[in-house]
Amino acid sequence: MNTPAVNVTWEDLVSTALVGTDRRSASPGEVLEQAAVQVVRARAGRRTREGHPPAPAAEETRPLAARAAGDRLARMLGGEQARLLPEWLEAAAAIGVRVPAHLIPGLLDLGARDRSIRSHLGALTGARGRWLAELNPSWSYLLAEAADMPSGDLWEFGTSGDRRGYLAALRAAAPAQARELLERGWDKETPEDRAAFVLLLSENLGMDDEPFLEAALDDRRREVRQAAADLLTRLPESRLARRMAERAARFLVKDGGGLRADPPKACDSTMERDGVRPRPPAGTAQRGWWLQQVIARTPLAFWAGHLGLPPERAVQLKVGDWAREVAMGWTRAAILQHDARWARALFEVEPLTDLLAVLPPDEQSARAAELVVRHPVDGQMIMMLGGVARPWGPRLAKAVLKKIVETSGTQPWNAGELIRLAGERLDPAMHGHVQEIAELAVILRFRYDMSKELS
Amino acid sequence: MDLSAGVASVRRVIERWSRDQVLSLAPDAASQKAAAGVSAPGKWSGSGALPDVVWGECKGSGATPYRACVDLSEPAYKCSCPSRKFPCKHALGLLLLWASDGVPDGGAPAGWVTEWLEQRRSRAEQQDRREREPAKGSRPSSGSAQRESRVAAGLSELERWLTDQIAHGIAGARQTGLADWDELGRRLVDAQAPGVAGAVSRLSRVLREEDWPGLLLEEYALIHLLAVAHRRAAGLPAGLAETVRSRVGFPIIREDVLASPWIRDDWDVVGARDEEQDRLVARRVWLQGRATGRAALVLSFAPIGQALDASLVTGTTIDAALAYYPGASPVRALVAERYGPATAGPPAGTKLSRVPGRIAEVLAGDPWADSWPVVLGDVIPSTESLVDESGNGLPLHPAGGVPWRLLAVSGGRPVTVAAEWTPRGLRPLTVWDEEGQVVRL
Repeated sequence: MNTPAVNVTWEDLVSTALVGTDRRSASPGEVLEQAAVQVVRARAGRRTREGHPPAPAAEETRPLAARAAGDRLARMLGGEQARLLPEWLEAAAAIGVRVPAHLIPGLLDLGARDRSIRSHLGALTGARGRWLAELNPSWSYLLAEAADMPSGDLWEFGTSGDRRGYLAALRAAAPAQARELLERGWDKETPEDRAAFVLLLSENLGMDDEPFLEAALDDRRREVRQAAADLLTRLPESRLARRMAERAARFLVKDGGGLRADPPKACDSTMERDGVRPRPPAGTAQRGWWLQQVIARTPLAFWAGHLGLPPERAVQLKVGDWAREVAMGWTRAAILQHDARWARALFEVEPLTDLLAVLPPDEQSARAAELVVRHPVDGQMIMMLGGVARPWGPRLAKAVLKKIVETSGTQPWNAGELIRLAGERLDPAMHGHVQEIAELAVILRFRYDMSKELS
Repeated sequence: MDLSAGVASVRRVIERWSRDQVLSLAPDAASQKAAAGVSAPGKWSGSGALPDVVWGECKGSGATPYRACVDLSEPAYKCSCPSRKFPCKHALGLLLLWASDGVPDGGAPAGWVTEWLEQRRSRAEQQDRREREPAKGSRPSSGSAQRESRVAAGLSELERWLTDQIAHGIAGARQTGLADWDELGRRLVDAQAPGVAGAVSRLSRVLREEDWPGLLLEEYALIHLLAVAHRRAAGLPAGLAETVRSRVGFPIIREDVLASPWIRDDWDVVGARDEEQDRLVARRVWLQGRATGRAALVLSFAPIGQALDASLVTGTTIDAALAYYPGASPVRALVAERYGPATAGPPAGTKLSRVPGRIAEVLAGDPWADSWPVVLGDVIPSTESLVDESGNGLPLHPAGGVPWRLLAVSGGRPVTVAAEWTPRGLRPLTVWDEEGQVVRL
């Protein structure tokens, strides 16, 4: 039975097959045979078709990470010691390498879910990363991250990430020039860019920047105003700082042996312009919220004159009502203004994690060690330790190791948390000295090898 | 000229494998993870490497460390641990350590290493002798006649079933297909036609597609063609008749395959893909001969989680003789004998514009062919196709999604890509990056 060359189209065959040959008075066997001929003919006759390859990625400017380092990154992307990934990225960024191309998609997927690792991805994934981010919308966040030290016309034509990188580098090298560049095109920038650019001025901040920042307090975008106010707070001579000090003088006064707070009754437009947010978070009293913000934005140097006391004494003063708001205002001020002396004084009263960050690393570690020695392990201690940057000093290391041994039998959950934290923060060179805590030794050894590969 | 004579005495330097290549040997994802866990340098002592062997002792939970050793030329694995997985995590961990430069070169192998290598060598020689003896007998005839008639009956029932479907219309396949095909597949297994049963069980895949009526008609037509071809096998050319028999699912004895002429070449292992079906994992490893340009497929099966053939490492090149299964477009093959590794480097790619012609030849021999390896040189991957420098493109298989890893490696520049051709498009398997490193996709 030869199938004659018939002029049935494939579509005819499919529609006949769908309704059935019974209704079309055709032979089912013939339909199947004709279909077979057409399928094979179509498959065998398929030609190439016009394709549109993407334009090539730009040349890379950074060297590739060493093979062992790349392999370790692959393992971490596969889930092994994944908590240490940020450290890998940081170390790799510090030595100026890029990651192997085939690992970029996995890394960008991770960055799409986890913002905290994005800041290094721009530089580490290099030209290839940016090229991929332009092809895949879910990776487009990368284009807003600063990449490598860019060249001249990027300020004019680059992505927002390029321009941030450019401005940051210029600010570090020539602060005034960077500000002037920003002022020239200020009105044409998008609100997102304006907010990001103002933040970059925190590097090499000085009174030269004051007029520009004062003007930015009238920006249309809240984030821009807020960022400008935060920076002005760090300049005790700024007009904003003086206005705040005047307010603070009215709202908080010495009263016998203690302090009396008299919070503002309203948040007027001048306060709002200076960055005081009128609407309190849920559960906070309005007046206390305003008081707290005014104190937070008042230069800390103001209090020595106003109260006639050094910070160590000031923080001990009894405050009647609003004591909580006053303490929180000072805490916030110490953090915003990076004032180590105030932070130290406040930490003595209440050991808050955020205050530790203001202290130099050695001192952070020493103070944390004291707390660990004196107190039993609890959630608060673990939170506090989470705020102590790596590497932990020898005293803190010793104190924490002792706690791990003590709690491993009685509170395995806390011991587990401590092990993971210690694994991330101890000096990896200690890996040989913690053999009694096997899990910790493994993590430290991993970091030790990692740091060798990335040095 | 027989090159094999001096091979045993010549130690070849084996190029260090990449991490990816090592992981591709693992029987499953859990093993990959476990292997990474024991690949830390701190776990190993007494490790060392010679050009074609790596060994070391791995600290486990017990008092005595596990002794692991890998003969890289094969590769073959040995470990003193009791694991049922093969290769075990220690052998893989050792290879990972070696891949990341963590095993010191040189040093005299420990006694247990040389002992094992000796054992292997003498076993290999014995097997050699056995295989050189001519294969005795031909197809066993008792039982085979019964099988022939069962298959014939099963396939003629299948033919009737298919014409019934077309007579009544396939519009209802979405509702009734799954149950029908299940039942039909079972009957075909009973009829000892596992090849056709497999084709029927894969029909359910077309229902996921938007143009399922057309795709289903394609599959019905090809299965029908196979049944008809088997019925008329007597009138077919010998090669085509063999193709039909193997597609239907008649087993072919290993010895028969090995008795066919061997083809010796430097074979590039260009890619591998594991596929799960019916609680079995099928590992398809694609090879391509450097001198002959021939394509080959080495298939192995194992229950999920059990040892798969791990002797062919993607991105390596082996000097070996292959024996092909019979057929009109032969591709499935056995590694008949390995003479050793060959100097590697990316394989030579063909021009993309020559692929359609090649595929037409394949289909002319075997119209049921739905998978064929191609190694393309100088192609630029896009999000949906591979394109050559003149703008000729071949589409990628839509089910594979955008091949981001492949795009990342190429960066819009020409690369060498090994891919599996299928009627619906190419499935990329392997790419060689700018440094000539192998990246599995």
